Amino acid sequence: MNLRVIGCNFRTAAVDLRERLAFDDAKRQAALTELSARYGAECAILSTCNRVELYVGRQPHEQPFDLELAAEFLGEVHRLPAAAVRPLLYEHINDHAVRHLTRVAASLDSLIVGEGQIAGQVKQTFDAAKTAGTTGPLLNALFPHVLRAAKRVRTETGIARGHVSVSSVAVDYVRQVFDHFGDKTVLVIGAGKMARLTLKHLAALKPKRILVTNRSPAKAAEVAGQCGGAAVPWEQLDDALARADIALSTTGAAEPIMPRERFARHVAPKRAGGTLVVLDIAVPRDFDPAIHDGDAVCVFNIDDLTRVREHTLAGRRKHVAPAEAIVDAEVRRFVADWQRRKSGPVIHQLRTEVDRVRADVVAPLLGKLNGKLTAADRAYIEGAFRLFQNRLLHGPIAALQEADPDGDSKRLLDAVRKLFGLT
Amino acid sequence: MSDTLSRVSTTCFGLSYLLAFLVELARARWPRPPLRTVGLILGGAGLFAHTVFLVVRQPTPAAAYGGTLALAWVLAVFYLYGAVHHRRQAWAVFVLPLVLVLVGLAVFAVSTDVSLAFDPTRVWGAVHGVLVLLAAVGVSVGCIASVMYLIQARRLRLKRNPLGGLTMLSLERLEAMNRRAVNVAFPLLTAGLLLGAVLLRQYHAAADNWFSLKVLGTVGLWAVFAVLLYLRYAAHVPGRRLAWLTIAAFGLTLATLVAAHPFANEPRPPGSGATEASP
Repeated sequence: MNLRVIGCNFRTAAVDLRERLAFDDAKRQAALTELSARYGAECAILSTCNRVELYVGRQPHEQPFDLELAAEFLGEVHRLPAAAVRPLLYEHINDHAVRHLTRVAASLDSLIVGEGQIAGQVKQTFDAAKTAGTTGPLLNALFPHVLRAAKRVRTETGIARGHVSVSSVAVDYVRQVFDHFGDKTVLVIGAGKMARLTLKHLAALKPKRILVTNRSPAKAAEVAGQCGGAAVPWEQLDDALARADIALSTTGAAEPIMPRERFARHVAPKRAGGTLVVLDIAVPRDFDPAIHDGDAVCVFNIDDLTRVREHTLAGRRKHVAPAEAIVDAEVRRFVADWQRRKSGPVIHQLRTEVDRVRADVVAPLLGKLNGKLTAADRAYIEGAFRLFQNRLLHGPIAALQEADPDGDSKRLLDAVRKLFGLT
Repeated sequence: MSDTLSRVSTTCFGLSYLLAFLVELARARWPRPPLRTVGLILGGAGLFAHTVFLVVRQPTPAAAYGGTLALAWVLAVFYLYGAVHHRRQAWAVFVLPLVLVLVGLAVFAVSTDVSLAFDPTRVWGAVHGVLVLLAAVGVSVGCIASVMYLIQARRLRLKRNPLGGLTMLSLERLEAMNRRAVNVAFPLLTAGLLLGAVLLRQYHAAADNWFSLKVLGTVGLWAVFAVLLYLRYAAHVPGRRLAWLTIAAFGLTLATLVAAHPFANEPRPPGSGATEASP
């Protein structure tokens, strides 16, 4: 195996540098073609917001693709000096490279351990390389194996359990209260960036209507236009809240816009039963937490959502050790499989050749003894020769299968070919 | 074969339900697919034995013993249906205890020496019994939904991790389940109560009968239901209070279920040739 992974991630490079080193689809296709043609290598490029990595496989006897070449190549593609890129890069070699990719795909090397996107991004990386025609035997075996290993990690451990984005946790809470959303009204109060992200999640639930209110009517109209909702004048906040099932609040107000007294006096009496879920992700908070009773009104603020997120992350961390054990096992299996694949043709050739020799010896012998042997005798003689062959070949075949791929493997293969006269 | 079936006892299905419940508790803690299968097999075996018992022994549902066992059987069917259809929810953990309580009541708290026989000639009496039993099923389902509602509401009040602990139905779904159960049970109870009053007046009009625990309890239950409906539809009371009231209604149902029937200690009406059906 001659595999290198060279790249940078959120630990080695700041976000502005990662952004400059990132590949979009078109750039990646061009870079793959160039990398493959220039170095005669099979290659793939993984580019996400948290990492940029080159996976390069060459023939065992060829000069490995190294850090200097990678820095030079990345600098050239992104029009940066190689000297500026070089300090950001790390390198993993052969089985360490396999291990690295498996950990990446299993989201063990992610900024948020257990996040679900990375496996899809690894698959896209492989698909892009296949489309560009830059994969070969090594990457064609490696990527599917790694994706299977990542799936094992996700399904056999709790590493991906729960949600860790504030928006997703908010929606999880909403789902604990409501079962269906086709008859629900979502009220958006304010128009912060966080509101838009959470609103996107809520809109995916397909509520009956979305109302948007803001101190600035223009902003309310803008957000309403983006989500297919209707703008409501700020002065009608109480009425809108009385009609809403879910309220998403992210104003920049310095004081709570909905103190308990106001809610009790102007909103609660107008509500016709049913629970109101308030997702208050404003800082400072928009809703008085005392409104929350877990029955008629559920108020979840940013602290509540963040606490659940931290709890989920802590839960995931407990599953890191079992996940790493799966990764180790899968890496060992891939390396062993790759070695078998490499020595496989020679072993097959060896068996075929010795089968032929055995047949050449046994056939005349049985011909000479023709008429003197029963069918059982013939079977016994044939079995004895087969057993002799198997015992004779056991040592060489085991040695080939167990040979260190980076050490004496090639020497052993050459020796077996020479000793048994294989081509 | 019939000899084997006749040996099925309350212990058989009571233990099956208990084991199924323990397995479901273990599954709530360690969610493994084999545990679900084991739980379903045990629950299914319990329901089978329960059915065999009711078919072979034929305890009269008009008496407390048969009534509690019949109600337990309906709830066991409800449990098995829910366990199959709501595979992710902690369904059995809430329904099976109720089934076990009813079986326990039948075995330990209710006399099996039933002096009330099922009389096929008294059709209206049977209709009255069926109506009240179905109403009791409605109250029981409402009670299960209410317990789940209170737990879910408590989790929300304490802002627990929404994906942690027992997987439960949403508040909205539980509230709807409770509402439907009560909406169905109320007319059944009303009809059963009116029919019972007519039968009581016609055949057993002694003053003591009108003030028996069973009659008073059923009237009280009807009143609780009426209040429940008023609070839900007219006063828009929050779900938690409705849930507590439904649980209270279930308590009253249990009390009336195990109370002696006013007809039980009276001489049979002329022409009643029914045979005893005690287990």
